Amino acid sequence: MRLLKLIAIVLIVAWSIGPIVLGITTSISTQREVNSIPTHWVPQSPTLGAYRALLNGSTGQVSGGTVVQGGDFVHAMTNSAVIALGAAALTLIVSTMAAYALGRLRFRLSGGVLALLIGTLVIPIFVVVIGLFQVMANSHLIDTKRGLILVFVATQSPLATWLLYTQVREMPHEPEEAALIDGCRRWQAFVRVVVPQMSSGIAAVAAIIVLSVWGEFLIPLLLTTTMNAKPVTVLITEYVGKYTTNYPIVAAAGVLALIPPAILALVLNKRITGMLAGSS
Amino acid sequence: MRAWRNREGDRSAREAQVLGWLFVAPAVAAVVVLILYPLVTGFKQSIRSGGFLFGEKPGYVGLRNYKDVIHDPTSQSAMRHTVEYVLLAVSLEIVLGIAIAVTLHRVFRGRGFVLAVLILPWALPSVVSGVLWRRVFDPDNGMLNSVLMQLHIISHPQVWLASGRGAIFYITLVHVWGVLPLISLIFLAGLQSIPDEVYSASAVDGATPWRQFRHVTLPLLRPSIAIALTVGTLLAISIFDEIYVLNGTALNTRSILIQVYNTTFVEADFAHGTALAFLLAVVTAVFGGLYALALRRATV
Repeated sequence: MRLLKLIAIVLIVAWSIGPIVLGITTSISTQREVNSIPTHWVPQSPTLGAYRALLNGSTGQVSGGTVVQGGDFVHAMTNSAVIALGAAALTLIVSTMAAYALGRLRFRLSGGVLALLIGTLVIPIFVVVIGLFQVMANSHLIDTKRGLILVFVATQSPLATWLLYTQVREMPHEPEEAALIDGCRRWQAFVRVVVPQMSSGIAAVAAIIVLSVWGEFLIPLLLTTTMNAKPVTVLITEYVGKYTTNYPIVAAAGVLALIPPAILALVLNKRITGMLAGSS
Repeated sequence: MRAWRNREGDRSAREAQVLGWLFVAPAVAAVVVLILYPLVTGFKQSIRSGGFLFGEKPGYVGLRNYKDVIHDPTSQSAMRHTVEYVLLAVSLEIVLGIAIAVTLHRVFRGRGFVLAVLILPWALPSVVSGVLWRRVFDPDNGMLNSVLMQLHIISHPQVWLASGRGAIFYITLVHVWGVLPLISLIFLAGLQSIPDEVYSASAVDGATPWRQFRHVTLPLLRPSIAIALTVGTLLAISIFDEIYVLNGTALNTRSILIQVYNTTFVEADFAHGTALAFLLAVVTAVFGGLYALALRRATV
């Protein structure tokens, strides 16, 4: 029984990291080693050539079909980072304010606003995308990082507001009331007392937003056309098999693109697990 | 004194009114402009004729686009594929998810490490998952061909992603790889909510581990199974990224969402594309409602 459990645990770990390890070994192989039959799973002469090609650019002949423009990959990673961090920061500002107002301030129609925000959670994003394309085109926001950030603020805010709202409802009221009695205005009490009280929830929600925006694909696929705003997820699919796929380069791109979310997930592992298990 | 307090109260109530609206305004504006408005314009597209591209006068055609889509053979096969993706993904996720949760439920040395590693696939972009798995299925020198040929199970390389059923299975596997961590966590939370006394009582009765699992654990996991069923369905029914990366818009693996993408943005037929998208959205909304119901049942 114990042996069985040990085998099961080994299988779980292998299943979870196997593809990542395969990606890493592929990224340090040469295209020839990947193509050899039987193929070499562990490279006999590891090389960083694929990473170099990705960062400095390559020609079609060298890289077997996959042409990489120098600087494009770094540019796309930067785009992804700007979009994910920008969307997370803006969403948190917007959602923290909304969560506080809905949870603590009595104002007319607050129930209706809450229902509206929760209601949008059931709208799948793909029915919005076609109309969204036209809205963005009309306001000249196609292919801009600004435009994508705004779209992700809209798609992420309802869930973020809901998660933060449940936290506001559970927090003790006393610190805020004390600040009000001391002569603070409402907004001052919010900034100085309530926001610090919410910090652990804000951090967890921030991580979840960054992870999900970093992984977004369909929306940026439709709303970007050039390197001006293209995130790394969209660029990677362009490296895949236009003619034949250069596996080391594609794998290297995948490995570099998975480093930021993997670090975030490992560092905030406990908090994310708690939030996911809690929200479901 | 009393008059002062009333004035003060009035002021704070007015302040709450103004501040309340000021604070929700950005969120409401973002949702209305970038979600609800596009939703309405999208729906309008779906009840208009395709326009000049098809030599028709633009105008309202009612539900004709919806009828067209339902009778279109390509859309029908995309619907069939989507049902296959969902059934396959959800059954794999439930069986494997329960197995993983049961394995990792009890405390053991290194459990924290295994749990940290377990959620990694969930954190990665699904496009990256697709890229990582691609080499496994490559027709010329993929892992699958290589291993099966060395074991003499197949005599020549197979083009895995070109075969009908097989291709859907492989793509589902990649999808499941990314979703399984979430489902496992749902079952882990479910197992944690079963009190230990239940097990000690059945152990006294001399139940074998399997009987214990079958007659104690499984029935008590029912609420978690309901949640996992709906979450798994919601995620699989709109499968797109993994298919796009592994097989593009190839007909043999096309899901409904790939068909929507192809109709709308490749064939530039907005009318039929949006109609199909709204059909899928209705089904998704139904499962969304079931999900909310399952959640409520589980917490009450």
